[in-house]
Amino acid sequence: MALPKMKLHPQLRSCDQLTIGCSKETERLVADPAPGISALPHDDNLRYFDVIIEGPGGSPFQNGKFKLELFLPEEYPMAPPKVRFLTKIYHPNIDKLGRICLDILKDKWSPALQIRTVLLSVQALLSAPNPDDPLATDVAKHYKENEADAQRVSQEWTQKYAV
Amino acid sequence: MAKVPRNFRLLEELEKGEKGIGDGSCSYGLEDGDDILMSNWNGTIIGPGHTVHENRIYSLKITCGPAYPDARPEVEFISRVNLPFVNQMNGKVDPAKLPVLANWSRALSIEHVLVEIRKEMASFNNRKLPQPPEGSTFF
Repeated sequence: MALPKMKLHPQLRSCDQLTIGCSKETERLVADPAPGISALPHDDNLRYFDVIIEGPGGSPFQNGKFKLELFLPEEYPMAPPKVRFLTKIYHPNIDKLGRICLDILKDKWSPALQIRTVLLSVQALLSAPNPDDPLATDVAKHYKENEADAQRVSQEWTQKYAV
Repeated sequence: MAKVPRNFRLLEELEKGEKGIGDGSCSYGLEDGDDILMSNWNGTIIGPGHTVHENRIYSLKITCGPAYPDARPEVEFISRVNLPFVNQMNGKVDPAKLPVLANWSRALSIEHVLVEIRKEMASFNNRKLPQPPEGSTFF
């Protein structure tokens, strides 16, 4: 006699998969971090991470240690993680509140991307500021009008705040 | 259920406040756009029509501490106002006397607080209370 097919409550099932997906990704992230990037989940909220990104060599952010926070919303991985700088930074695509203008955090998000990819992209943004798609308009203007002087300010801020 | 951490929650509230809420009779924003911890907020309530508050503009200060939104915000009036839940010495809102603060939950927000205070201004008991001169402040 055939056994009846096991039925899973649909909501329970998607919940389970999400939890497993999240924690596996976290495990890998903690055990095998990308160079110059660390991300640790909070004990009381496994979707909330303390992140440190080292400023890339050859950029005005070199030798800086930048604190960020990252949160995986309920809809993750269908929706992108939320990421914000906590360390003050002089960069045309990062505003005064640390919000980041980066396409993969918005309309270019894909569920195939992961926390690791996101943080690597944020690190890459530090090497390649894009003043044509600014969030901090005053900083972008500075970068367009006098890049050397703007980089000098970025470096000063790095030495002042990102230690 | 994912629990949205304080800072991301306040960023959501900021973005909503920047877009403008409801009919514009309540509004709020950061006191200092540089405040990375987003603790200090300004609120504005336009007094409800057909009450003693009609056409008055009230300024408030809202403080979201480190435990927000699990803990309720602190609310105080900058503009002088006579309401039973506002301390007449310093403008502070007594959370025990305002249901939205007394029964606080993390589902509530700065917007809810302002909207509820405005409703109180229009309530039967408060709509005709004598008021201090328009434009006076607690400090």
